[in-house]
Amino acid sequence: MIPWKDWGKRLYFFDGAMGTMLQQAGLGPGEKPELWNLTHPQVVQSIHGAYLDAGVDLLKSNTFGANRLKLQEQTVPVIEAGVRLARQALAQAGREGYVAMDIGPTGKLLQPLGDLSFAGAYDLFAEMARAGEMAGADFVLLETMSDLYELKAAVLAVKESTRLPIVATLIFDGKGKLLTGGDISAAVALLEGLGVDALGLNCGLGPVQMLPLAREMGKISSLPLVLNPNAGLPRSQGDATVFDVGPQEFARTMVELAREGAWAVGGCCGTTPEHLGRAIKLCREIIPRPVADKGRTVVSSYGRAVVLGKDPVLVGERINPTGKPKLKQALREGNMEYLLQEAVAQQQCGAHILDVNVGLPEIHEAAVMGRAVQEIQSVTDLPLQIDTADPVAMERGMRVYNGKPLINSVNGKRESMEQVFPLMKKYGAVAVVLTLDEKGIPDTSQGRFEIAQRVVQEAARWGIPKKELVVDCLAMTISSKQDSAQVALQAMKLVKEHLGVCTTFGVSNISFGLPQRGQINAAFLLLALQAGLDAAIVNPGAQNMRQAYDAYRALACLDENCMDYITRYGNQEKPQRPAQKDRGMDLAQAVLHGLKEQAVQAAKLALQEEEPLEIVQKQLVPALDQVGQDFERGTLFLPQLLMSAEAAKGAFGVVQERLAQKGGDQPGRGKVLVATVQGDIHDIGKNIAKVLLENYGYQVVDLGKDVPPEQIVQRVTTEKIPLVGLSALMTTTVPSMARTIALLRERAPWCKVMVGGAVLTQDYAAQIGADAYVKDAMASVRYAGQVFS
Amino acid sequence: MVKTIKEALRYLGYRGQEPDLATLHLVETCMEELEGQVQRRSLWERYPLTVGGSQVQLGPLRIQSGQLARHLEECSQALLFAATLGVGADRLVQKYEKLDLTRAVVLQACGASLIEAYCDRRQGELARLFEGEGLLLRPRFSPGYGDFSLEYQRDLLSLLQCPQRMGLTCTEALMLLPTKSVTAVIGLARESARGNCRSRCSQCQAENCPFREEERS
Repeated sequence: MIPWKDWGKRLYFFDGAMGTMLQQAGLGPGEKPELWNLTHPQVVQSIHGAYLDAGVDLLKSNTFGANRLKLQEQTVPVIEAGVRLARQALAQAGREGYVAMDIGPTGKLLQPLGDLSFAGAYDLFAEMARAGEMAGADFVLLETMSDLYELKAAVLAVKESTRLPIVATLIFDGKGKLLTGGDISAAVALLEGLGVDALGLNCGLGPVQMLPLAREMGKISSLPLVLNPNAGLPRSQGDATVFDVGPQEFARTMVELAREGAWAVGGCCGTTPEHLGRAIKLCREIIPRPVADKGRTVVSSYGRAVVLGKDPVLVGERINPTGKPKLKQALREGNMEYLLQEAVAQQQCGAHILDVNVGLPEIHEAAVMGRAVQEIQSVTDLPLQIDTADPVAMERGMRVYNGKPLINSVNGKRESMEQVFPLMKKYGAVAVVLTLDEKGIPDTSQGRFEIAQRVVQEAARWGIPKKELVVDCLAMTISSKQDSAQVALQAMKLVKEHLGVCTTFGVSNISFGLPQRGQINAAFLLLALQAGLDAAIVNPGAQNMRQAYDAYRALACLDENCMDYITRYGNQEKPQRPAQKDRGMDLAQAVLHGLKEQAVQAAKLALQEEEPLEIVQKQLVPALDQVGQDFERGTLFLPQLLMSAEAAKGAFGVVQERLAQKGGDQPGRGKVLVATVQGDIHDIGKNIAKVLLENYGYQVVDLGKDVPPEQIVQRVTTEKIPLVGLSALMTTTVPSMARTIALLRERAPWCKVMVGGAVLTQDYAAQIGADAYVKDAMASVRYAGQVFS
Repeated sequence: MVKTIKEALRYLGYRGQEPDLATLHLVETCMEELEGQVQRRSLWERYPLTVGGSQVQLGPLRIQSGQLARHLEECSQALLFAATLGVGADRLVQKYEKLDLTRAVVLQACGASLIEAYCDRRQGELARLFEGEGLLLRPRFSPGYGDFSLEYQRDLLSLLQCPQRMGLTCTEALMLLPTKSVTAVIGLARESARGNCRSRCSQCQAENCPFREEERS
């Protein structure tokens, strides 16, 4: 909470640019402005003083980039001095005002796109915030943020290590996009969920360009806005960067900006005390607009927000091991591929949100949930529904999630609410409320309604508004109790009417135990949608569900001009010809042409007549050999090589399944460890080599990218691995390749090492002590052949 | 065939051979998907330049590099230039690395082709801009070319304030992130260069690089 006595009653004014002012005072290009807190304290303080003279109330300490990555051991002294200088300027001016501990982005890209971990970013921000609070800052301003994930790390760090209020402002481009792709709606959802005290925009744009974005933000935000635009856009003039909006023009536009729901305004790059002074004169009398709770039920990912309540959405239910032996096996083996394929397939089928449930008794659910959330977010921008009964797994998922998730679920049991509500307060989330409690699931709709009512009331006591709850009145199968559909629907209507909250159903339970379940499911979905269902948890790949949903939206006037319906079904009027079966294509041909589907079919067909190993020897291996030779000869190219490899992989899968059934296993050719060396975070080349090595029957241990030498050596020694393949893309990481080889020579003298990557050459490879330089993936297969012959 | 597609095929190992229809289709769809995800951004600043021996003084930045010095002979000023396709391109490659490696590899090549084309386009625009002052642009010269050490990547990024202004950063190992990005020094001279305008590949030490372009005659 921001405790200032006039907050919301009159407009507060932030100061303007610090950097531009320091440059005028002699700060050189490339010099770190924060260091001037120590080297030129009087200059920094006088700039604060000039802004106070112009009439501002809120000073940003000169600590924007004062993080450990940039300042190392000077971090804390620079922050202490920065906050102190602002405090001293305030004391000297002798009037009311507040000092913001100013925190900018780390300047690094976060994993998985970059090399800074979420936890690493968190630590940098926590150190800054703590130092700022110790030095006497009144609040924290997180500004110029362009990555929602980094911003989440920052807000959590400030919340967990200080008691200071938080204001967060982001930098958008003129089209309302963040550098990392998010939009205003996704940003507002995240920040409201995390519980900051005010949010807004700064930098990047001048006041004119900021106006439409501020308006959009004001419309959806339930928090006060803070707007700190630049003095227009920067442009080079001679050797200097200048901003094109002068004080008078700036001030005039700030009047308009201030009326868009701002409780505080100020300036960013290029603004001066004069800009601010004039703006304050014109804006002083503006009374801030009261901020209304917009009551939006919204979840988000890094890139998009999904609003519940107006137009029903589909929540994909397929990522759930119940009844899926393959997913169970994949989860046990720590293999994420199956799950990622499901995620993408459901998105293609039109899901709006994906449920993620990885609960299996024999796995560490919290760890798997954390990993699954991160991995799924690397292949889809759909918001996720974190589905678990384990509060530890729920917290793990919520913490690493990039955005504001749905969580599934809380219920009327006291214990459940006490576990889930604090997590919602901390991380922000919309929660599914199951209408059950210590006594079980009530048989009556009234009973279920009363539980929902109790949960809504209890949530309010925790400070969680009802817009953050979505009630599930529990559709249970009509095969055991025939009135369950009616009870659930009736309860849902009561909930909507009397509590005014959004609703959800796990739709397909309704038909459990009945034949042709799809028919019942689709009919129930229609009934529920008609009764006002907001989120249907379904298999979006099930055609009749999809059709019921699309038809409903057209009939209910939710699909304007039936455009979605027409787009989806318009070109399907004519019955499609049944897909041609490529009966003529044998396995070798399919592999040669890189046709995965056909290769799998051909392998299945071949298994009816031949022994699995015979298929491998007589068809797969020769085909692969030919592809490899054509590649080496330069008549076939990388995409084709890979398509053939993928086709062969599919066929191998079929063959191996048969072998496993027969209790045998394909004899492996030997074990190869592959890794991209420490410091290198790019591993596509290594992945290509891996696929080909696997194709040729090697068992590949893939340690991934950025792998420390010790980790490689440890694995090689414990498993006595005879061959290691190392990849490096940058000249700067070849030394870590050399270190890895040296350590292997010392601890695993039996092990051969092949190296590859853009910067390596035969000579270079010899210099760092490798046994072989492999110029491409086929070369690694050939060398492996030599080693294992 | 569109130039960016041709260039993507070259990154995939084609040396003028016609791709089969399936591959061509794949490259085309990848290009389309990528276009939907890239956010092109670029920045430049102009600095005074002095060159002495193998020392280059570029505004506040002192660079030790004989090859860069030779490349900038007769230039009195230079531009620092940075361009990126944004994180969208990387996100797409990462996605398909987990789902469809062939597509990831092709997207990678398409991205490389698009960033080069974008840099060329921006450089063309800059050339027209400086024409008015009677100044000609030299080809881009980037950290990592020849003896222009990658270590200067950090200085270039911080001088141009790339992280804040365009979301361009680098790793500890000095790899640019987003990966489909370029930083470069572009010399400004009164006259066109004499004999030091060879293709950029010819100045690079990675002689075995599969993407190395043949010397242009």
